[in-house]
Amino acid sequence: MPRLELDAVCKGYAHPVLDRLSLTVDEGEFFVIVGPSGIGKTTLLRCVAGLERLDGGRVLIGGRDVTRVPPYRRGAAMTFESYALYPHLTVFENIASPLRARGMPAAELRATIEAKTTLLRIEHLLERKPHEISGGQKQRTALARTLVARPLVFLLDEPISHLDAKIRHELRRQFHTLDELRRVATLYVTHDYAEALSLGDRIGVLGHGRLEQIGRPRDIFERPCNLFVAQHLGQPTINTYACALERQDDRVLARLSGAPEIRLPVADAHRVRLEASGLGQATLGVRPQSVRVDGADPRHPLRATVDVYEALGAQGILLGRLGSLPITAITPPEARFEHGTPVTLDIASDELLYFAPDDGRNLVL
Amino acid sequence: MDTNAKRIVVWLILIGFGIWVLFTLFPLYFMIITALKPVEEINRMVPTFWPETFRPDNFRGIFADPGSLKSLIDSVIVASANTALSLFLGTLAGYALARYLTGVVGENLAFFILSNRMFPPVAILIPMFFLFDATPWGTDSYWSLIILYLVFNMPLATWLMMVFFRDTPRELEEAAYLDGYTPLRAFFKVTLPLVFPGMVSVAMLCWIFAWNEYLFANLLTGTTVKTFPVHIPSFAAGSQTLWNFVMAFSLVAMLPPVILFIALRRYMVRGLSLGVVKG
Repeated sequence: MPRLELDAVCKGYAHPVLDRLSLTVDEGEFFVIVGPSGIGKTTLLRCVAGLERLDGGRVLIGGRDVTRVPPYRRGAAMTFESYALYPHLTVFENIASPLRARGMPAAELRATIEAKTTLLRIEHLLERKPHEISGGQKQRTALARTLVARPLVFLLDEPISHLDAKIRHELRRQFHTLDELRRVATLYVTHDYAEALSLGDRIGVLGHGRLEQIGRPRDIFERPCNLFVAQHLGQPTINTYACALERQDDRVLARLSGAPEIRLPVADAHRVRLEASGLGQATLGVRPQSVRVDGADPRHPLRATVDVYEALGAQGILLGRLGSLPITAITPPEARFEHGTPVTLDIASDELLYFAPDDGRNLVL
Repeated sequence: MDTNAKRIVVWLILIGFGIWVLFTLFPLYFMIITALKPVEEINRMVPTFWPETFRPDNFRGIFADPGSLKSLIDSVIVASANTALSLFLGTLAGYALARYLTGVVGENLAFFILSNRMFPPVAILIPMFFLFDATPWGTDSYWSLIILYLVFNMPLATWLMMVFFRDTPRELEEAAYLDGYTPLRAFFKVTLPLVFPGMVSVAMLCWIFAWNEYLFANLLTGTTVKTFPVHIPSFAAGSQTLWNFVMAFSLVAMLPPVILFIALRRYMVRGLSLGVVKG
């Protein structure tokens, strides 16, 4: 049963931010909206919450049209990126706020808060004021405030982006295990693709005022519908090159426009689709994960030189030059490369992505 | 800087402070000793800086005139009622300006309201007299002063409250809406407690202005209603001015604002520094 439906939602200020955006989130679903900063993710949440008036379209929560319903009667709870904790109230009173709004009896209120704060491990902070607790604790307080509200829809705005890596990891795990979130529809907004891939039952990539692609995390990562999605999901960013697709004998090759001597074979799986679209010009996408770096072999067709190598512990990132073109590759953690070292590259041809040069759509989908 | 130069600077600062303290406290000192002198000692050619005869009875003497106590009560009524009204209207107007009129119109309106404070009050003295003379309660009434002082206090209250409201994040109110509070309940739950120290400062400023105002009070009122600044000249008996009574009465009139300030100084300091540090 759909809990949250957005139907052709429009919202703009000086220019359109949301342009006929439609979306359905089911009960129990954790839907993550991912997109670059300033693309309108927060605006989208604010539209759902009722804090912004729509220019067009409808918002339905639990099947009820709430487009003209004020935020305090919508049944949505939201955490703000800035936490928005009431500075003059204690942690306890902050969390109690939605319960007091509906006049819950004191004993039940205390029991509810104690249960939630124990779950989030902030039960020892109840008498403190927000300025006396850390960023992670503030985040949990804000989260507790939304959890006790028992809303129909949870709206979470970059809830863990400003925290340090360790706490972020822990909170991410808590999102996976919170039962409350599994019973209602959750709309979670982030600019961090890893967070999106890890948390989302489904992901929507927001760009150009609408959801460019909606799907399961793995599907979106492996089969992005266009260049924008491919560029936004994945760290380091996907390598892109202008190329010409040419037939040679019974094969199809991608000849890089910036380095014509480099020709990459097109996988058989992609060939039929590319031939159907007429070959010609395309944008080639190479995920850094698809590039394997080896030692120098002068006879190897793909030779590159190392510009910078970053050892990051769990993996290494190599920034190099393929002819005159920059390329980024992910290496195993134990690898070591010096500046200027020649290396050879192996690129998994079945992991390559091909996009139309004009509108950026994925040519092999 | 070496220690010698540092010491000189410290001394210079101390001397500066000393002069400043002398400048501000000497009049107060002279008030106090004059209030304690008999009238003969005041009229000497060479003033005494320590009373030769102490006359604390002066403080009882001023209240021999029943008008003295009444003038203080009148002042309390006018100042308190005006402060309450200024604060109420200024808070509402300031909130509207901060939250709903944020564009060019709002900016200009806010500036216009503040600009009401900028003209010389004496310019509207005569028109105000005729204006209040035409009202049902006339010029010589509590209402005339209570309403007239709004001309000065409301712009100040509106402007300051607007600044305080602008400094409270809107997101806090929005969070309250999502908690289930209507805008009015959210205002009382979240916004008002946050600007409360500011309100106390504004109330102090309004109250002190209304307490001290002489020009309009002197022109408009004087018979049924007589605030204390208008009452002070009545201690000039014929050709003889009873300076000891004037000073004693002025000292008594100083007490309420001083007591208020001390009682509310915790809020005053926080209110005056509202918006200085965001966070």
